[in-house]
Amino acid sequence: MSEPSWGKWGTWEDAESFVGKTVGVTRSPDAVELGAIRRWLEPKEFDCALHTDLSAAKAAGYRDIIAPNTMAFTYGIGPYWAPEDGLSKPGYEPRQISIPVIFDVPAPCKLSFATSVEIEFFDPIYVGDQITCTSKLISLLKKELRVGAGAFFKQEDTYTNQDGGVVAIAHLDIFRFNPPEGKKSAS
Amino acid sequence: MKVGDTLPEISIPITLHRLVMEAGANRDLSMIHHDTKIAQATGAPDAYANTFFLMGLFERQLREFIGLKGRIKKIGPMQMKTFNCVGDVLVVKGTITAIAEDKILIEQTIESDRGVTTICQSQIHP
Repeated sequence: MSEPSWGKWGTWEDAESFVGKTVGVTRSPDAVELGAIRRWLEPKEFDCALHTDLSAAKAAGYRDIIAPNTMAFTYGIGPYWAPEDGLSKPGYEPRQISIPVIFDVPAPCKLSFATSVEIEFFDPIYVGDQITCTSKLISLLKKELRVGAGAFFKQEDTYTNQDGGVVAIAHLDIFRFNPPEGKKSAS
Repeated sequence: MKVGDTLPEISIPITLHRLVMEAGANRDLSMIHHDTKIAQATGAPDAYANTFFLMGLFERQLREFIGLKGRIKKIGPMQMKTFNCVGDVLVVKGTITAIAEDKILIEQTIESDRGVTTICQSQIHP
């Protein structure tokens, strides 16, 4: 492929061979901590004592301060740099967020966009927890939309703590596609 | 509390400064969310808010509504209809759509001058 692409390239047979399989496991590089929670709350102007005040969290039935529920997403992202990566050179390509059904599942598609996301919550995420995200490709449904022909990829992300307790399960629908010939588009 | 009741609205202006803070905090460093030129090259009017930020705004509204002892059970499905860009003022709205023994269903939206940009179905336990 000489044209720019977004995602791992392969055949439909390649893609379909991943259905029902684990396509990514990400252990958060950081345990849950108060500074990260505060910085997460800040841009949303989100003031909630459950995430900052131990006595308030205990009064609400928790054993410690908890992270916001949807912060699970953040703890499902791996590091953007690690010492073994070495030093970047001028003109390096910044690393994008890792979405396994785009970057680890091969498919004959150049572009993609998310169509829907949902997340269900179970155990609380406590300060000190170490979160792991396990991603599976649940289904693949070929479809032709106005933007082009491709397929809907449904990714299920299960977030667990260090004890194996499930804190959240998310479903992400991604449409991977190719724009019609002669039409330029981007994800 | 009854079907049709509305949740207190949230209004929040989107600036590039806020999107940069958000990207650093939520770790979605996709450049479409903090680099105007790259966002525009993909057809967006400007850099735009990422999914984690929108989800977080919906969580904030639910939490402010149910208080510290309530439980948020589910957020989503959330569908993005159009961009939430730098320069937009987002208004988060919510309406109770059903009440059952163990849960309350809420439809949440985000609106701006672009119209309804985002729709979300959520579940809470008060």
